[in-house]
Amino acid sequence: MVTAVSPLLDVRDVTLQYKTSEQLVTATWKVSFQADRSDRLVLLGPSGCGKSTLLKAIGGYLTPAEGAITLEGKPVRGPGPDRVMVFQETEQLLPWKTVKQNVAFALIASGRASRQDAADQAMNAIRTVKLEKFADAYPHTLSGGMKQRVAIARCLAMKPDIVLMDEPFAALDALTRQQMQEELLELWDRSKFTLIFVTHSIEEAILLGNRVVLLSPHPGQVKEILEVNLDDPDNRFYGCYDQLRDTINRVLFKDVGDYVI
Amino acid sequence: MSSDKVLTFTPPTVEAIADIARPLSRAERIWNQALVRKGFILLLLAVLWQLYARQLNNPLIFPTFSESVVALWQAFVHGELGSRVQTSLTILLSGYAIGIVLATLLAALANGTRLGNDLLEVLTAMFNPLPAIALLPLALLWFGLGNGSITFVLVHAVLWPVALSTHSGFASISPTIRMVGRNYGLTGMQFVLQILIPAAFPAILTGLKNGWAFAWRTLIAAELVFGVSSGSGGIGWFIYENKNQLEIAYVFAGLLTVIAIGVAMDSLFRLVEQRTVNRWGMKY
Repeated sequence: MVTAVSPLLDVRDVTLQYKTSEQLVTATWKVSFQADRSDRLVLLGPSGCGKSTLLKAIGGYLTPAEGAITLEGKPVRGPGPDRVMVFQETEQLLPWKTVKQNVAFALIASGRASRQDAADQAMNAIRTVKLEKFADAYPHTLSGGMKQRVAIARCLAMKPDIVLMDEPFAALDALTRQQMQEELLELWDRSKFTLIFVTHSIEEAILLGNRVVLLSPHPGQVKEILEVNLDDPDNRFYGCYDQLRDTINRVLFKDVGDYVI
Repeated sequence: MSSDKVLTFTPPTVEAIADIARPLSRAERIWNQALVRKGFILLLLAVLWQLYARQLNNPLIFPTFSESVVALWQAFVHGELGSRVQTSLTILLSGYAIGIVLATLLAALANGTRLGNDLLEVLTAMFNPLPAIALLPLALLWFGLGNGSITFVLVHAVLWPVALSTHSGFASISPTIRMVGRNYGLTGMQFVLQILIPAAFPAILTGLKNGWAFAWRTLIAAELVFGVSSGSGGIGWFIYENKNQLEIAYVFAGLLTVIAIGVAMDSLFRLVEQRTVNRWGMKY
């Protein structure tokens, strides 16, 4: 069956389980949501709701025990450069490569560019995150925010179908985090990439997402999917923001007694 | 009131405190060089040696420093020490290279599969504590009197420490770095070469240093035991031969050569460390 507009990413009834040395843990239970092209979809929930595990499954690092994840109609099998992840840990940059080499490496290893083109494309990507002065610096000499910018530049240089971000700003200080959130939105304005963003911050979710998937923990299940239209100029006022935040709070915590958070 | 205070505040003039920056004297700067200080220690040792040997006055037991240096010069320029060094280093490098390749393969296998992991752990637990030189009698039986036997014990000396540290280096790589590598489509040997080896390089370098030290000691010891083969002995044989001819100054010349090569290799490893691990900010 072919629908008129099929979503770019389709997560359908996905149950994820992983083994620890002692037990089999069910991280998510029959989770479904869709993302269209240029969506900024946020997975929001308290710790234990399986949001990071879900992102890893979309990245191809985990196979669902049940259900299916399809990208442009094709099931996701294993990690690949069409879905690039940005992690929370600043250690995601290869310490033995300079900023420029880190970006170029991704392009070369994945076959996106030849050795010569990779250097130029890497410089362009580094310019978009305003780090051209640090192109030849090694990662350990950069601040946390700068490292995350390099990781974002490396990801965007790949021009992936989907950008997967796993709390990329969580380890940064509050001021840097705010700045990075704004810069991320500016970058999105420029190239309108599709973004799946995991966070446990309600403010971050409202600010960055145009669609927010609310997950409850143990095991992770979809509570509600909210459309956020702060992009709409008519809607951009604090009342709307507060209303959304209250809604999310209510949905996430209405039966808070049931959970250990 | 307080704003008045701020407005009228004048910082004390620099002269009132001290110099901001005073260049160190020439002597201080020279003494700050580690190389100068270490050279001084070497000089001191040489002087002590010379004084003691002179006082002992028995070149058959303990020749003076100057006699040893002259013997070293003679052995290099007119004698055979140069070719002896060459023989030793050639065989050492081939054993070292084979050991490293085997260790890398073993560690890569251990990284990929659980059984490979167990294999490496069992083998290193068994063979790492076994001194390579203890295998020499067996090696002689299998490979005969010659380079084959020495290469065999050298590989044994290098393989286990390098495999062990490479393995622990691989194991300590963060899952994030591994996921990054796989995200960009690296698998198999490319993944090992482009992600695992550089990410574990601090540990690998430590293993290479240990492997080198084990191999070097094993080589000299093995050469002392059965010395010359196929007409060309190494430094160990040079030492043994001169001891038999009571050319003790030449024995010391051989020992000095062994030390010098050891120090040179140590500096080389230090240089590699500066160019890689230190530059990348990877502490181990």
